[in-house]
Amino acid sequence: MRLFWELTKLSFQRQLTYRAALVAGLATNLFFGILRASVLVALYGARTEVAGMSIRDAITYTALTQGIITYLSIFGWYDLMNSIASGEVTADLLKPLSYFRFWLAQDLGRAIVAFFLRGVSIMLLYMLIYDITLPHGIEQGLALTAAFSLSWFVSFAWRFLVNLAAFWTPNAKGVGRFAFGIAWVLSGFFMPLRFFPAWFITLCNFTPFPSMVNTNIEIYLGLLTGAALWQALLLQVVWAVGLTLLCQAILRRGVRHLVVQGG
Amino acid sequence: MNRRYIQKLGFTFAIYWRLIAIQMRAQVQYRVSFLLEVLSAAITMSMFFISLSLVFARFGNLAGWTLGEVAFLWAIVEVAFGLMDMIFSGFDPINFGRRVRQGTLDQLLLRPVNITIQVLGDDFVLRRLGRICEGFIIFAVALKLAHIDWTLGKLLYLPCVVIGLVCFFGGLFIVGATITFWTVDSIEAMNILTYGGSEMLSYPAHIYPDWLRRTFMYIVPALFLNYYPALYFLHKPDPFGLPAIMPFVAPLVGIGLLWGSLVFWRFGIRHYQSTGT
Repeated sequence: MRLFWELTKLSFQRQLTYRAALVAGLATNLFFGILRASVLVALYGARTEVAGMSIRDAITYTALTQGIITYLSIFGWYDLMNSIASGEVTADLLKPLSYFRFWLAQDLGRAIVAFFLRGVSIMLLYMLIYDITLPHGIEQGLALTAAFSLSWFVSFAWRFLVNLAAFWTPNAKGVGRFAFGIAWVLSGFFMPLRFFPAWFITLCNFTPFPSMVNTNIEIYLGLLTGAALWQALLLQVVWAVGLTLLCQAILRRGVRHLVVQGG
Repeated sequence: MNRRYIQKLGFTFAIYWRLIAIQMRAQVQYRVSFLLEVLSAAITMSMFFISLSLVFARFGNLAGWTLGEVAFLWAIVEVAFGLMDMIFSGFDPINFGRRVRQGTLDQLLLRPVNITIQVLGDDFVLRRLGRICEGFIIFAVALKLAHIDWTLGKLLYLPCVVIGLVCFFGGLFIVGATITFWTVDSIEAMNILTYGGSEMLSYPAHIYPDWLRRTFMYIVPALFLNYYPALYFLHKPDPFGLPAIMPFVAPLVGIGLLWGSLVFWRFGIRHYQSTGT
């Protein structure tokens, strides 16, 4: 376990060194956030509430989603497949730590930095421009902490799984682009899932994507309470466990398949 | 124009064609893989528009614009950005920055061929056809929903608008690439203009806050490239009351920006100092 935390710490420190990239990243996230908020405000028009979301909630929704892009990293993460292409994977597989946990540790360090420097910062910047909804109460705070943590885990397991494609095909990037591409819409990132027709929401709920983004949003905005909230958290746990097991099973087959090109 | 100049021009184009022909051959070598990439790009990109239309059902309009009218804006941007991303990929600041960092640009500079043509021929991303196809599908949706009164003028002007946008986005790539001469790494702030710009142009300009709209009209004149032409095609009044000529400046603005970016690029090349790697 010490090795796990060492890796987390190293990755944490590595992320902290890129300060100029942080400023540029925040500016980009904020810019897109303002565009998306403008679209939602224009769609709302004279309406004050749509599907239980006030206009303020809708703006907060854009802040939240822009804030968690880097934290969840679900729209593009090719580190693992790159390490397979470069052959580094051989050294990584020899580490005295399971391959899954080796990447989990590093991603944890990355995610913690991203959560505060990119996520919290975006919320603060938004507060300078817009009047946004803030979470309140210990209960909601605890639920949010659980949801955010679980959503990171689910997103990691999904990214790990997608990256495993590199054990089989040299064109794993293409697989990744598709797998990460569909997440934009199905996770509730592009538009709040509540705005969609019922059949579409049902469809999304058969995928792990809402557990990565939508659950966080609905809990943050106080749209999920009581039994529904517990159900959403439970679903996140189910996806986390299910995807992890799937990752392990596929990894076992992949390792047997691995051919590293020397050079 | 004398004969030697024309000969030289012919030679340059022949080189360019050779360069991109090699790229294209290499990219379609694995046929199934290539087709899947194009298809998956088309699917993932169209999902955005599909979800917008699903959500639109609940709202009816976007600040007075129907789904078909938004589709018109969206389609033009998608086709233009896809074309640009296919043709100007050599100038993509991320790829080009790598060349500067690793010193591989020096190899190109040593060759007796125009450097701009070489960088342009450095990468030709055929799989962007996916995004272009998606743009055409959305354009079909726009045609079906928006009821545009087509005239000969509109028919002839439409490709000019697309060319204007391609030039504009291409110019941004060139500026971004040139900046890496000094910064070495590609600067993420350029993404605001390229990817942010394409996102912004996909929706009608009057939904944005005034400061943002003005910035993208008078500092980076992006909104003249598709919003104003769209007003002409869709026969909509101009909410900002600018002169009636505005819908028709798009190709000029686009070509002007591309020209300006090339001037900056040549300035950059003249002052280029290798990183020494």
